[in-house]
Amino acid sequence: MTRFILQRVITSVITLFLASIVVFIGARMLPGDPAQVLAGESADPALLEAIREQFGLNQPIWVQYFTYIGQALTGNLGVSTRDNIPVAEILLQRLPITLELAGLAILIGLVIGITAGVVSAVKRGTFVDYVATGFGLVGLSVPSFWLGLLAILLFAITWQVLPASGFVGFAEDPIGNLRGMILPATVLGIGLSAVLMRQTRAALLGQLSADYVRTARSKGVTRGREVSHALRNSLTTVVTVLGLQLGALIGGAIVTEQIFVIPGFGKLIIDAVAARNYPILQGAVLVAVTGYVLVNLLVDVAYAYLNPRMRLSGGSE
Amino acid sequence: MSSRSLKIIGVAAAALLLASCSTPSSSSSPGAAESTDGGVAVVALSDEPDTLDPTIANTFVARVVFTSMCEKLYDANENLEIIPQLAAELPITSADGLSVDIPLREGILFNDGTPFNAEAVKTTLDRNITLDTSSRKKELAAVESISVVDENTVRLTLSQPFSPLGAQLADRAGAIMSPTALAALGDDFGTDPVCVGPFDFTDRVAGSEINLAKSDYYYDKDKVKLDGVTYTFITDPNVRSANLRSGEVNAAERLNASDVETLETDQKVEVLKADTIAYQSLSINVDPALSASPLASNPDLRRALELSINRDALNDVVFNGQVTPDCAPLPLQMAYRPEDITCSKFDPDEATKILEESGETLPVPVELLIPARPTDQKSAEVIQQMANDVGFDVTIKPVEFVSALDAARAGQFEMFLIGWSGRIDPDGDLNDLVTTGGANNFNQLADPELDGLIAAAAAVTDTDERQKLYGEALDRLDELKANIYLYHDSWFLGLSGITGVEYSSDAIPRFKTASLTE
Repeated sequence: MTRFILQRVITSVITLFLASIVVFIGARMLPGDPAQVLAGESADPALLEAIREQFGLNQPIWVQYFTYIGQALTGNLGVSTRDNIPVAEILLQRLPITLELAGLAILIGLVIGITAGVVSAVKRGTFVDYVATGFGLVGLSVPSFWLGLLAILLFAITWQVLPASGFVGFAEDPIGNLRGMILPATVLGIGLSAVLMRQTRAALLGQLSADYVRTARSKGVTRGREVSHALRNSLTTVVTVLGLQLGALIGGAIVTEQIFVIPGFGKLIIDAVAARNYPILQGAVLVAVTGYVLVNLLVDVAYAYLNPRMRLSGGSE
Repeated sequence: MSSRSLKIIGVAAAALLLASCSTPSSSSSPGAAESTDGGVAVVALSDEPDTLDPTIANTFVARVVFTSMCEKLYDANENLEIIPQLAAELPITSADGLSVDIPLREGILFNDGTPFNAEAVKTTLDRNITLDTSSRKKELAAVESISVVDENTVRLTLSQPFSPLGAQLADRAGAIMSPTALAALGDDFGTDPVCVGPFDFTDRVAGSEINLAKSDYYYDKDKVKLDGVTYTFITDPNVRSANLRSGEVNAAERLNASDVETLETDQKVEVLKADTIAYQSLSINVDPALSASPLASNPDLRRALELSINRDALNDVVFNGQVTPDCAPLPLQMAYRPEDITCSKFDPDEATKILEESGETLPVPVELLIPARPTDQKSAEVIQQMANDVGFDVTIKPVEFVSALDAARAGQFEMFLIGWSGRIDPDGDLNDLVTTGGANNFNQLADPELDGLIAAAAAVTDTDERQKLYGEALDRLDELKANIYLYHDSWFLGLSGITGVEYSSDAIPRFKTASLTE
């Protein structure tokens, strides 16, 4: 198990290093000069040069990269070109907000997705199954921006039971925080729940028709106990899918945060792209990639724990 | 114009300011709801401001925030006339036009308690013309030095007569910063800015909001009803509208023209309209070395294109009739705009005739570069349809805004649908935009006659003489037809649960006298 984890950690570090290069170069491949964006309508050449000098944009790209990575290893991610605020400070403000949003969305996704998946598998071929699979199809098909605007229209404008937007810190006002988070987390969680529902249903159906379940059934095991056993073995697939869905969750958060004006990572990335704010863009994407790699590392470890064959094969499966 | 006549105008302008304070041209009405003192107004901006340092800032939304916390030497009224704000009078220009005295108001304090005086003004203006990253350098390029005449008078020495100076000082170049805060923060002034204003900067949550609180030091604080203003950033206009309707925000700027009708049916919402000084145009690349379209080298074809466009139809189809169709860059409310501008009428038959007689193979191809935004896409499609009907072959190329601007500045386009936010002095609407080598001269226009007229107009101080020169410049511009001006924008401010907000030609909502309603 230790060797397996070590192998995975080394792979993750290499992935992060390569990702840092891709993120750095990718940001600079965006057409549009950050100095032009900062200079706005006044595109005085002397001013443009002064801005490039200020942010080191006139250096060769490899010098910029090694300066950046050298500083990043000491925790200095530079300053935002828009307002000169340190990137690390901004990320520390934004990260907990997106983590809270993603956490709530995962919770909602898990509760709805697994419940619907189990019910759908157990009641296969019934009306309940059709409703659940229909929900899965709709959840996957409806774009989150549309769902978000619909939710605002219904809950904030028509019924006025929840706020349309805004974020209040949990420590500042726990009730206000949850009220502000319910709609965005639900919108984000519905897409995830649809995926989890389909995966749970398929995995559980597979397990329920496995030999060991048939044997248990022939020995008189109750239906509930039978499902309980099969569900635990189905969860390896669900956990893997959950890890892979993290990327989609971050993508979904970008849209959801824009609609609900949640000052999280997604909104930060979108705003940084529009403003060609390289330091913010690099910092935010790098932190997101780190999170993604870490979660997948944890998923691998969890998977190895749930499935002993993984660690015996050293992860080569 | 003599200094005496300028003083008379100053007194008249001050009187006009007082009048305009009591009867603003466009302000929210109290309605049935009772207004209350106190409370914090939440204002949705369409974007996040850049640094809150008036020397460096460049975004329009930063100007909106500055209006609440950084007063300027001068301001502009709804007729775009310069009026004193922190200055006591209009600028007093010497006979040779090379020296300008600015008398200052007395007894004013910055929001940190520092006295406002000539030394403070000199500190700010010196910084504006010397800081490497100053965006004001070019605006104040004619200013050679600043000196203190006495406690309440500064003198600007110019390298050449420069009439737009007052207008420049009515924008960010004239926003005076606390010398105490400048000494303490230096280049980081924008992280905790201190000026003279009804509200004082409290804090900024990057990407989320900027908070201001009522100033205890403001000279006119008795008129300030709100405890503070929170500016929040909501980029999507649909989401801004939704937040306005749900009451999450008290004011939302730049609403979609197409949403106005719906919003006006909501009893809680009031919509104010500003006929702005901004304009939209088709900028045609007239350098045949850079543009393959026949329009680059043939002004007659450009004239045919203009005749093919029905500006009123464009207004009706895309903007529900809410913008002001026009064929000149200077807005209608500008005093220097010639009164005899006559726009050519929509005439598709004449356009077809010109094309047929041009000897070009029809249809005449032209690629229209547009920023990839819904409204620009709609406008481009209407223009495409009209132009194609007479014998053009317009293809639309939508590109993300920053990339489109980059391509345009490099001359890599044939025709570009682009706007300009407008300036209160005509020089700001022409110089650099249509003058040779100008950074915003996308169409690569290089016409010595036009350059000469624009330079001469900036150097004379007499209003009639300036108006005459700008008239000649606009005539020359019309002959060259490098730009086909389409309309002046109208912007919409939505209000909910707030009254007393002022909103006029500069499209900047002012909250000095605003109060929340019960």
